[in-house]
Amino acid sequence: MEYPVKIDLSLCNQCGLCEFNCPGDLIYSDQAGDPYLKYPEECWFCGACRMDCPKNCIEIIFPMEML
Amino acid sequence: MFEQRNEVTLKTDVLIIGGGSAGTMAALAARKKGLDVILVDKANINRSGCGAAGNDHFMAVLETGPDWDTPEAFLTWYKRLTQGLVDTKVVEKVYTNRIKGLVDYMEKIGIQMRIDTENNDFVRTKSFAQPGEYFINFDGRSLKPIISKEAEDAGVKCIRQVYITDLLKQEERVVGAVGFNIRNGDSYILEASAVVLATGNVSRMYRNPSGFPYNAWHSPYNNGSAQAMAYKAGADLKNMEFVNYTLTPKNFSASALNAIVGMGGYIVNSLGERYVLKYHEQGEQGPRWTMPWGTYWELKEGRGPCYFDVRHLSDEALEHLLNHLLPVDKNTFMDYCNQKGLDLKKDLLEIQISEGQIPAFVGSVTGIHIDENCLTTVPGLYAAGGCAVSICNLAGSMAVGEAAGEAAADEILRNSIQIKPDPEIISELKARAFEPLQRVNELEESRFEGKLHQVMAEYVGIGRTKLGLETGIKELKKLKDLTKVLGANDGHVLMRVHEAQDMLLLAELIIRGALTREESRFGLSHYRGDYPETNPEWHVSLHQSLKDGIPAMKKVPAYHQ
Repeated sequence: MEYPVKIDLSLCNQCGLCEFNCPGDLIYSDQAGDPYLKYPEECWFCGACRMDCPKNCIEIIFPMEML
Repeated sequence: MFEQRNEVTLKTDVLIIGGGSAGTMAALAARKKGLDVILVDKANINRSGCGAAGNDHFMAVLETGPDWDTPEAFLTWYKRLTQGLVDTKVVEKVYTNRIKGLVDYMEKIGIQMRIDTENNDFVRTKSFAQPGEYFINFDGRSLKPIISKEAEDAGVKCIRQVYITDLLKQEERVVGAVGFNIRNGDSYILEASAVVLATGNVSRMYRNPSGFPYNAWHSPYNNGSAQAMAYKAGADLKNMEFVNYTLTPKNFSASALNAIVGMGGYIVNSLGERYVLKYHEQGEQGPRWTMPWGTYWELKEGRGPCYFDVRHLSDEALEHLLNHLLPVDKNTFMDYCNQKGLDLKKDLLEIQISEGQIPAFVGSVTGIHIDENCLTTVPGLYAAGGCAVSICNLAGSMAVGEAAGEAAADEILRNSIQIKPDPEIISELKARAFEPLQRVNELEESRFEGKLHQVMAEYVGIGRTKLGLETGIKELKKLKDLTKVLGANDGHVLMRVHEAQDMLLLAELIIRGALTREESRFGLSHYRGDYPETNPEWHVSLHQSLKDGIPAMKKVPAYHQ
């Protein structure tokens, strides 16, 4: 499946809030400190990662099966 | 490599398992009594649970004057809604007696409860056959982070990313819990004089219509660990056979029904008929279960697809729905509409019957049985919120959580409990927690769950018969054998493996209950094709428990007071 949580790393400040807020433990930080969605198939599409993002750099993209 | 690392042992007065709305309120309430409190969650508490990303309705009785806005009228309605299978004495003590105070508290901590800013007043709507407008429409987008901060500021110790696998018992009493940190592999032994379970409902046990099991109405991370742990500890679980279905947008299982029918929206079939009226005299204003029930028959008889229709609403009502309700309850709702190309002012919104869930909604009669003090049938073990039977939408969960935290604290303040857990039991529970790491992973956890969803949907779903349920039992036995080849290679998957085993246990209880209850009740929740009528002789609750390792079941009469 496509990645439903799209993080624009050119804007991200690596604050870690999206990883902290995700209720499903789906977002992890890589060695450089950039967040990534490790378990895309377990996404609830809730938007908790996006809500408190200080850089407004997260988009939620629904897979075609949900549209 | 993920492996078992340090052992962390912590002692506290009250341990709360589950950091959603109920658990956080329980922790805060126990802490306000001056006790040492630990709140543990497998995620991060800040945005945990069903209310992670917001909520738009807060059910309250405010006693503003009209007859319906009184605790008495509320309880009369609630008894009718639950068909007497929930003890309204419990609801009075844990909800109606404290809900006004809770609304005041929410305002005090900065939650916007009065969205009519011009008149500084509440906006209230009604749905689900309520006698009046009990639902305050509010802005709950920041509710969870705010109450989590309140709890931490009050001195609650929050333990994050720790999955609890088992309760710890000392003779008959629960005295703590055992779990592991899903990120670093530390094991946790949490000793407590009292434990409050608050891990919500079960949203991921049935087949999801979209094919994505985590695309669920309520939090898909709610896997029933509270109900499973309570059962294993000997507590009574109530009415497990009633599985809940609701109506959600097509392929996007988001809350919308309450907002839409609360604003006067219609539910129509492909012929344009408001069909719910055929199944209940109150139509879209009837109880929740009548709407998926009617939709099921419309689809079956060839009049689908079915839709939410809000095109007739006034501009003002539409503005309220599209700005203050739908995206406040589900943050991504308008993204879905935009990406699908839907304009709800002009277009119908296609709907579906949601995945089945072990329910948590207003009127649910299923979960851990609790008394007026939120105590289960096991000493030292309390429960609140979606996992317990009382009243469990957001407002209900918060009120019951507060009541449970207070009651647990009061018990400890009255009697001090000496805790000396048996080290042998601790070491057994620790071994069980980490065991899947030792196994060769022959079966992916997601495939195991997929098979569970298939069995539940096909044999224990909508429409049940004796033969089908017996087939379900056989299929679950095969799945149980497969748990031996479910392995894990990291903490996240280890958590999912435990979650799946909890769901499997609860699935067995659903089937056992469904097979025993030879009648139909609450629409699709329990529709036996071989016993299609509601039978007054079955106007009872079914309690299931484990007595000395043997499953037991008893009938408990409905409440008539």
